[in-house]
Amino acid sequence: MKRTVWFVLSSLMILAVVLSACAAPAQPEAPAQTAAPAQTEAPAASQPPIRIGASLPMTGGFAINGQLHKEGYELCVKLINDKGGLLGRQVEMVISDNQSDTETAIAQTERLINQDKVDFIFGTFSSRLTFPMTPITEQAKMVHPIPAGAALRIYERGQKYIFYFQPNAAEYVGKSPVEMIQNLVPEADRPKTVAIVHADDFFANSIVIGLTGGKVEIEGSDRVVDLAPGVLAEAGWEVVFQQQWPEEGFSDWISLANSIKASNADMVFGLTASPDETIQLVRAMQTVDYNPKGVYLSQGTQEEFREGVGDAANGIFIHSSWHPAVQWEGLLAGEPFTNQDFIAAYQAEYGKDPDEDVAIPFAICQGIDQAVRAVGSTDNTAVRDWLAARTEAEPVKTILGDFHWDERGLPLNKPFLMTQWQNGELKFVYPLGEFPGTVDLIWPKPEW
Amino acid sequence: MTQMVQIFLLGMSLGGVYALMAAGLTIVFGVMRIVNIAHAAFMFIAAYITYFLFQSFGVDPILSILVTMPVMYLLGVVVYRLVFARIADSSRFAELTVLLTFSLALVIEGLLGAMFTNIYRSTNPRYATDAILFGNFYLPEGQFYATLISLALLGGLWLFLRTTRTGYAIRAAMQNRTAAQVVGVDVSRISTIAFGLGMAMAGASGSLSSFLFTFFPGKHWEWVAILLSLIVLGGMGSLLGSLVGAFALAVSAAYVSYFYGPTWSPITFFLALFLILMFRPRGLFGKPMEA
Repeated sequence: MKRTVWFVLSSLMILAVVLSACAAPAQPEAPAQTAAPAQTEAPAASQPPIRIGASLPMTGGFAINGQLHKEGYELCVKLINDKGGLLGRQVEMVISDNQSDTETAIAQTERLINQDKVDFIFGTFSSRLTFPMTPITEQAKMVHPIPAGAALRIYERGQKYIFYFQPNAAEYVGKSPVEMIQNLVPEADRPKTVAIVHADDFFANSIVIGLTGGKVEIEGSDRVVDLAPGVLAEAGWEVVFQQQWPEEGFSDWISLANSIKASNADMVFGLTASPDETIQLVRAMQTVDYNPKGVYLSQGTQEEFREGVGDAANGIFIHSSWHPAVQWEGLLAGEPFTNQDFIAAYQAEYGKDPDEDVAIPFAICQGIDQAVRAVGSTDNTAVRDWLAARTEAEPVKTILGDFHWDERGLPLNKPFLMTQWQNGELKFVYPLGEFPGTVDLIWPKPEW
Repeated sequence: MTQMVQIFLLGMSLGGVYALMAAGLTIVFGVMRIVNIAHAAFMFIAAYITYFLFQSFGVDPILSILVTMPVMYLLGVVVYRLVFARIADSSRFAELTVLLTFSLALVIEGLLGAMFTNIYRSTNPRYATDAILFGNFYLPEGQFYATLISLALLGGLWLFLRTTRTGYAIRAAMQNRTAAQVVGVDVSRISTIAFGLGMAMAGASGSLSSFLFTFFPGKHWEWVAILLSLIVLGGMGSLLGSLVGAFALAVSAAYVSYFYGPTWSPITFFLALFLILMFRPRGLFGKPMEA
């Protein structure tokens, strides 16, 4: 019998090692860096390609987003190369798969900078992976354009080389759905009670802080950003249920949905960084037949989401940085390049419709393309200075619209779009009047 | 009060599925002393077969059990002959199996990743998101069917072990391998069959879990950790134990989720494992002889 116990213990220990390797541990400080690689201009004759490194979550929990990011980067680079390259050189992506794992992402970023000696770094998906990566690029004085790293904590550490390519930090995301409802729904129909359920995740926790008016502590300093009283309190909506689920090992979604149902909240805020979890959540709410007036999710614009939940998507709204109907005009390889050009190019290359996880990395590539052309070199500090000097009148022009940034690296004057699934299509419902192409909001959400 | 009953029902409707998953693991341990770390990985092979059949041919995930059980049985036989039979006489057999099944799990994970990518999958038959209503209560239809089928399969397994000659032999081998050999049981053949049966159970539970939980290749580690706590609670090698352990923990986890929040629900399993190892290491039904 003793032997039995030992077998179990030893096998569990193996498991513990494996699981701890899979789980995202607390972020250690980035290890000391070796000196940044010297930027030596290649002799004109040989003209080696400009190499751009990215450590993306191609597998694991963020696999859907990570693979789409890869497509966005690669499509843009291909189009630039088709138009003669950048500074007369071809552009080449060096992409490695960090398996959605923080430690791997850190190691790969260091390898890209120190061993592969890439000319530029493109950012990765999710706040969790981005947070420990920016100190590395900062120390190496590499520009770090961020496609998806919304947590305010990333931008409050005084780093100079980071630029966010979405409208705003996660702490301010919650404003968009609330403001939309206040502007589009008659007072009597608006929700009075709210349930917040979220992943124990960097991005989701950040949105919750903004909704409920928490404090953001900035690591490595005694600075605290206080967001009280919070978006929901300002709107006069009461939080009657708030729960989080763990990042690993959670399977009992139906019990969670049952608890939300018991709270009888008018509206649900479902917050996570991964569409897989919102799929589970929606399916469980459908199973227990809980029909709130409104469901807002922080993830779910992807085709995978629609496939996963089917007709239950109808009426669910999600904030977005991009929508196909919006007629933004950007620049690519020095020429005008509209959002619609982007959609056509993506369809030609991949045979399917793009979503925001392709558009955002594409916009990053446009931004660096413009900066490198403007300064005429791959010198990261010069590129950084040029990006930081952008203004409302002289912005970076992308298929996500115009960007200029504050000193933290957060965009100025950019609202989120609100999108809603309507009969199998992701429609663009808010803000009204700024762009053509909006449709009426469906409210309340149709019954499952 | 209504809510308390409802949570009990939700827990019970998951318990049967957990029990089926754990049964395969416990029978393999009982007969062969193999701690099969790869059990959940084998379950995932069946889940992917089910997903493939559902997506390509619209085969109902429950019906696909008719495919996954025999396929997994055969795979189990092959794996046992190739991997375990040759080391069965080693004095360090048990330790070796932990390492072997661990590497088997890695190989399966890698192959599934290469074939199906690491994107989350689930099958989506109509009953996966429907509920059966009665009075103030409801049962998730998918979980309810899955638990019914699990109990039916477990009942079948129990009958098989109680009424057939092979079943007797398996139970004899579970009680005492050497003595069984002495009285003329072909232990090698019996082990092969038992391993195949364990894998067939993994096959059925893989098909059922395909519409209850999303899965991707690396996720089996989460499951095997839960399953090990289930069978340790019940007493390793005891079928009845794995059944009771599964229902007890599924119901406890549902209450913990309601009262303390979902963050704590996975911890229920590991806390139970910890406590049982401290205070009753042989588990609730701890004679590993029992079938």
